[in-house]
Amino acid sequence: MKLNLTVHPRFRIGILPMILLALMGIAFVIAMIRYTYGIGPITDLSNSYPWGFWISFDLFTGVAISSGGFLMAGTVYILRIKEFQPLLRPSVLTAFLGYIMVAVALLVDLGHPERIWYMMIHMNGTSVLLEIGICVMSYLTVLAIEFAPVVFEGIKWQKFAHLIHKFIMPFVILGVVLSTLHQSSLGSLLLIQPTKLHPLWWTPFLPIMFFTSAITIGLGMIILESSLSSRYFQRGLEVHLLEKLAKVIPIVLAVYAFLKFGELAWAGELGYLFTSGVMSVLFWAEILIGVVTPFILFSIKKVRQSANGLLTGAVILLLGMILNRFNVSWFAVKHPDPLFYLPSFMSNVHYFPTLPEVLVSVGIFSAGIMAFGLVAKYLPVFENEEHSHETVVTPTPAIGD
Amino acid sequence: MTNTISRRDFLKLGGAATAMLAVGQMLPPMVAKAARETGQINAAGDGFISSMCEMCVWRCGLVAKIKDGRVVKLEGNPEHPHSRGNLCPRGQSGLMNTYDPDRVLTPLIRVGKRGEGLFRKASWEEALDLVASKMMEIKQKYGPEAMVFSSTHNLSQPLFENLLYAFGSPNYGTQRSLCFNAMIVSNLMTYGMEEPARIYDDKLAYILLTGRNLMEAISTSETSDLSHAIDRGAKVVYLDPRFTKTAAKASEWLPIKPGTDLAFHLALLNVIIAENLYNQTFVTNSTVGFDQLAKEVSKYTPDWAAQQTGIPAETISRIAHEFAAAAPHALAHNGWRTSNFINSFHTERAIAILNALVGNWNVTMTDAAGEESGTLGSPTQPPFPRVSALRLDGVPWKYPVVPLKIGVFQEMRDNIVKGDPYQAHGWFISRQNPIMSIPDRAKTLEAFAKMDFIVTIDIILNDTAWFSDVVLPEASYLERYDPLVPIGNRIFIRQPVIEPQGEAKSALWIYKQLGERLGLGDFFQYKDEEDYLRQQLAPLGFSLEEIKAKGFVETAEPAHASEAAEPNWNTPSGKVELYSDTLAKVGFPGVPTWLEPPQPAEGQYYLLTGKVAQSTQFGTQNNQLLHKYSDEPRLWMNAKSASENGLADGDWVEVTSEVGKVHSLLNVTQAIRPDCVYLTPGYGHLSKGLKTAYGIGVSDSALHVTYTDPISGGQALSQTFVSVKKA
Amino acid sequence: MIEIKHKAYLFDATRCIDCRACMVACSVENSIPMDKTRIWVAGVGVKGEFPNLDRATMVYHCMHCEHPDCMSACPVGAYHKRDDGPVIYNPDVCIGCRYCMNACPFGVPHFDYDKGIIAGAFIDKCTFCPQRVDNGLEPACVATCPTDALEYGEREDMIKAAHARIAAHPERYIDHVYGEFENGGTSYLILSHVPFSELGLPAIPEKPVNEVSEKVMEMTIPFAIGWGAVLTAITAGVAIYDKKKESQKPAELDEKVEAPK
Ligand SMILES: Nc1nc2c(c(=O)[nH]1)N[C@H]1C(S)=C(S)[C@@H](COP(=O)(O)OP(=O)(O)OC[C@H]3O[C@@H](n4cnc5c(=O)[nH]c(N)nc54)[C@H](O)[C@@H]3O)O[C@H]1N2
Ligand SMILES: Nc1nc2c(c(=O)[nH]1)N[C@H]1C(S)=C(S)[C@@H](COP(=O)(O)OP(=O)(O)OC[C@H]3O[C@@H](n4cnc5c(=O)[nH]c(N)nc54)[C@H](O)[C@@H]3O)O[C@H]1N2
Ligand code: SF4
Ligand code: SF4
Ligand code: SF4
Ligand code: SF4
Ligand code: SF4
Ligand SMILES: [Mo]
Repeated sequence: MKLNLTVHPRFRIGILPMILLALMGIAFVIAMIRYTYGIGPITDLSNSYPWGFWISFDLFTGVAISSGGFLMAGTVYILRIKEFQPLLRPSVLTAFLGYIMVAVALLVDLGHPERIWYMMIHMNGTSVLLEIGICVMSYLTVLAIEFAPVVFEGIKWQKFAHLIHKFIMPFVILGVVLSTLHQSSLGSLLLIQPTKLHPLWWTPFLPIMFFTSAITIGLGMIILESSLSSRYFQRGLEVHLLEKLAKVIPIVLAVYAFLKFGELAWAGELGYLFTSGVMSVLFWAEILIGVVTPFILFSIKKVRQSANGLLTGAVILLLGMILNRFNVSWFAVKHPDPLFYLPSFMSNVHYFPTLPEVLVSVGIFSAGIMAFGLVAKYLPVFENEEHSHETVVTPTPAIGD
Repeated sequence: MTNTISRRDFLKLGGAATAMLAVGQMLPPMVAKAARETGQINAAGDGFISSMCEMCVWRCGLVAKIKDGRVVKLEGNPEHPHSRGNLCPRGQSGLMNTYDPDRVLTPLIRVGKRGEGLFRKASWEEALDLVASKMMEIKQKYGPEAMVFSSTHNLSQPLFENLLYAFGSPNYGTQRSLCFNAMIVSNLMTYGMEEPARIYDDKLAYILLTGRNLMEAISTSETSDLSHAIDRGAKVVYLDPRFTKTAAKASEWLPIKPGTDLAFHLALLNVIIAENLYNQTFVTNSTVGFDQLAKEVSKYTPDWAAQQTGIPAETISRIAHEFAAAAPHALAHNGWRTSNFINSFHTERAIAILNALVGNWNVTMTDAAGEESGTLGSPTQPPFPRVSALRLDGVPWKYPVVPLKIGVFQEMRDNIVKGDPYQAHGWFISRQNPIMSIPDRAKTLEAFAKMDFIVTIDIILNDTAWFSDVVLPEASYLERYDPLVPIGNRIFIRQPVIEPQGEAKSALWIYKQLGERLGLGDFFQYKDEEDYLRQQLAPLGFSLEEIKAKGFVETAEPAHASEAAEPNWNTPSGKVELYSDTLAKVGFPGVPTWLEPPQPAEGQYYLLTGKVAQSTQFGTQNNQLLHKYSDEPRLWMNAKSASENGLADGDWVEVTSEVGKVHSLLNVTQAIRPDCVYLTPGYGHLSKGLKTAYGIGVSDSALHVTYTDPISGGQALSQTFVSVKKA
Repeated sequence: MIEIKHKAYLFDATRCIDCRACMVACSVENSIPMDKTRIWVAGVGVKGEFPNLDRATMVYHCMHCEHPDCMSACPVGAYHKRDDGPVIYNPDVCIGCRYCMNACPFGVPHFDYDKGIIAGAFIDKCTFCPQRVDNGLEPACVATCPTDALEYGEREDMIKAAHARIAAHPERYIDHVYGEFENGGTSYLILSHVPFSELGLPAIPEKPVNEVSEKVMEMTIPFAIGWGAVLTAITAGVAIYDKKKESQKPAELDEKVEAPK
């Protein structure tokens, strides 16, 4: 594929890019205010609620929806199911951008963003957050390597692209390992809150829950992002491929549901399913939207084979699973309120994100979408569109060559 | 959920600059020269210096930690019997009084209208000359009695008194009639001493507290004593219309109807006498007037008292039995701020007599060693001039049994307004905030308006200073010497732990300077503060350096009579007077007698006042550290009454009394009787010179109506009735 | 070797009069800014209905856990527990992630929400006053308490004293020393006359809160190595299998197996 150097007119005058740019600008200004005056003035975060929307959305959701990258890398490189080749690059790109967004958001959330690298020199081995930090940083590097061939091809440095292809396998394996670790560790992050996280969610198996659900999220994301980009870039949709992915989803969801309810039963906490008021409602909402509905939809062949069906199913699945991420990291977390009756620095035991807080996330997200658009536009992310989608053009895995 | 105290964010002090300040980081280093000379602090300016707290009149011993020439921390001095190593919250925050950014650090002369708060800085020379010339002018025009002097008890008071008596004025205003006149006068009438000491020993088994809120109106060592007695299992019965923090620690809280403590105690006497529960030996050997007493109290049965107090007769009777059974290891606390109703004198008499009847003397109470001790030396001085003018406060012509040194402050204020029997023209105030502490603030301001000249000695621009013509800045208690204090066989020193800031000077210096300008130099025969202390120590043979280094010196003999000695009942009969002839002679009942207190009309409430642990009177609300940990002052009202009035927690309410009206936030609580409301004293300052305190809360003094107990002269501070409605 | 004895505070809610001297003392001793605190009043305050009232207050600060969750959680190891009890925070390495705040079951660490990058936003919490205890003094809050509601000493002695107090006045206390076992034990021990929840203390199991998370973390590296090995094996297996299959079929796509273009 040739690098197309003419700027597509849609990007010049497009209303969407303008909006995205504006949102990014707003987020930038808010971030500057935050760096100058602190986190307090622009957020509702407090000593009672140290983590809020940024963590639930940017970190928990952001990482989860980036899981398509390792799934496709694993599928194509490790399992050598080459027909998924067309989905590889977009997924890796989504993941790459997704993780960059996570990192940027964390730099806004961290009290000392300039010290982020301290994680590499002052390591505390018992800290789940350290593991996540290291994994995410390393995985970003891996993703960069996985995505590099696309860039090199784009700028016609085929030799480098080849070189990377030659040594890609260790990185792919490393990427899958890192992803497995930190996708599950996001769940482990909450293990330290057994007294704060509602028992419907807190379980020693949180990491496994997270990993399992991350797989469904990754698959859902691939479907969503293929569907959307096919619409936006007006290219063909790989329905037959997506159908195969969609077929896997009910299986993973079944496993997930089995784990979730099995654990509750095992821990003797089934009672909470109906006795926890709002928490019960949130739990069931998450299950109905994120598990039951997509399970049914993706079990139906007709749905799987229709572009709209796939998109609908994926959106519902993702909504439910994102609700799960919000539940575990925010809605179902109860911070201690030591019944203060003194003028108290801990005056805020409730939390609701402020507009600026949300706008920062929106801005970063916009940047991600913008970047995806630009990259997809100028680099060979969607390969061989001129070919029929039967054509599989795939780099040779290093091993086995 | 709590409903007594509101949630509130910590004070955000002004701009970002002040919000960052922490104690001791605000002013340039100040080296305590004297302390450095005696080696108490090293060359780097670090060290520890013993001195005394002055955040309240209890005057605990403290040890100040000095770092780089600044006070950075105060600790309780373990060697001092009032602190025993602890300090209360006010004591802990004392350095913030010294480092208060609102300190007055130069003499100020008023330039605007009174109360406008416009002053110019002046030199001491100019200010002192002005004060002296104004005082002389008044003296020449109207006589020395036209100058009134007032001050609240403090260590330099003897020199203050020198100034006033030498000047020739009889008009001496003290805080006491707003505080403990009923207790003092009743003790004088019963035991011939102002306040017997209380003994909290291991055997103390029963304590009856009548509105003595020791857990909030803190006296460090006594608060600690009470707490430890409770730990050991002593029973504490506490009478208060409010569920105070003391009530919470008491074994039994009796939410008595205000003003009826007298009925309760009369009934205790009734039971104890009727059922022969008293200590016959003690009564026979050491008291007079038992028969008169028995006759009078025979009327006051528990059934009768139950009607008055709202406390069941069985409870009253049971407590009488318990108290008598526990005696002599029982103590009926004689209270402190006992100025609640016009019958408070009789209440206090009944308490004093209760202790006597069951024979507690020398077991739970004993002869008190005063702070004034004969063993210390003092500069020589001539006798005071004879004063023939009547006192404006009616002592003794209207209040025959009230001691001269105590007086009736609110009456003085009233007579200033009336100009009766003569008009006063000048007011000299030291370490006192009468605008806030005397009831009926509007009237006090009226009295101020009558004055040609007002001078106030203070450390901050309190309300009284704000309305003065000249403000003289005293060095704070951490910056100055004061006369020595003997306690038992120890003598304690207050000494500067840092140099005075700005131009601030000690009272010893100020009084001497003024005395000299008024031609009264003979009454101030000391070179400087250290010289004064040396003269005090001379007869004991101690050096100043010795006492400075250790914070105290120990004399061989206790300054006071030992326990074994005969009690020193300085009454006309030489015994404990259950019946007082002195009282009878001036036309008052010789034994405690029921006196019906007035009651609020329908729809009105008793307005109660009472201390909180985080402030002292009217002078510490500007202390940022105390402010930080204080509750927001609001009007307390019982939940039942609030709902009857359609009022909710957090509402703004209008509180109206006969003399004033304020708008306050409402605190709906269970912790008060439904017929009472309560305000924390010390808020609602008028002075904008108090940047932390100004604008916070309301003043109960603006509501208080002036009623004076005719015997003791005590102001009846709970005898104000208010109506409350939504503002 | 000198055995370092383990220090603890004992707080007795039946003695506390809510005077807040301890709070002022802490603010002064540690130069805490006026709008911050390391120690605060908790509890329901007045409870019940007039005239049947009670009061429950306690002073709340770091529990100095035996198995500190803040320390377990901090990615950069900004916390450490001293052998003699105190849990100390080191601002020099803190990245401001506030995970320690999430981890602490008592809600103790607090953060400078009002500070930007230049002013430097840090965590603060009670330090146990090492500057004092190392010099033979009691922590500032303890030293000033007029009622001895706060005391300080060897943890063992404090526990003994607490149980002795309960035994002497069983009618006065709840028969439990909070912190003896909670969260695996803490260095702040609490006696109360009301249920501990009314003092604002969370119900914390005896198992340290960080136990599961630390166990999972212990498994991380072995898991990573194992999982990496498995993946390598799968990769190799699949590749060999593929090759076999391809060599059996006419290699139709073989010329295209090289990277595109
Ligand atoms: N923290 C602090 N401590 C202080 C002081 C301070 O300002 N702050 N001031 C010091 C001084 S000068 C003094 S005099 C003492 C005062 O010490 P206390 O005598 O204990 O003084 P208050 O708090 O003024 O009043 C005590 C209680 O009397 C109750 N009361 C009101 N009317 C009645 C009544 O008719 N009957 C009964 N039984 N109770 C009633 C009030 O509700 C209040 O709770 O405290 C000293 N200690
Ligand atoms: N409503 C109401 N009225 C009351 C009471 C109440 O509880 N409620 N309580 C009554 C009682 S018990 C009392 S004792 C009186 C007290 O009444 P006051 O004695 O009039 O009041 P204080 O606030 O003690 O006044 C002390 C003043 O001294 C100043 N000061 C502090 N330190 C120094 C110093 O070192 N040098 C100098 N020169 N000045 C200093 C303070 O700033 C303050 O202005 O009030 C009585 N009035
Ligand atoms: S009781 Fe408190 S304020 Fe009064 S002298 Fe003692 S420490 Fe100071
Ligand atoms: S100093 Fe003691 S009594 Fe006062 S609040 Fe603190 S712990 Fe309670
Ligand atoms: S109470 Fe919280 S901050 Fe303190 S040691 Fe325990 S976990 Fe850490
Ligand atoms: S905020 Fe600082 S101390 Fe707390 S966990 Fe993060 S890096 Fe550690
Ligand atoms: S131990 Fe020290 S730092 Fe901790 S609350 Fe007490 S005074 Fe403050
Ligand atoms: Mo007083």
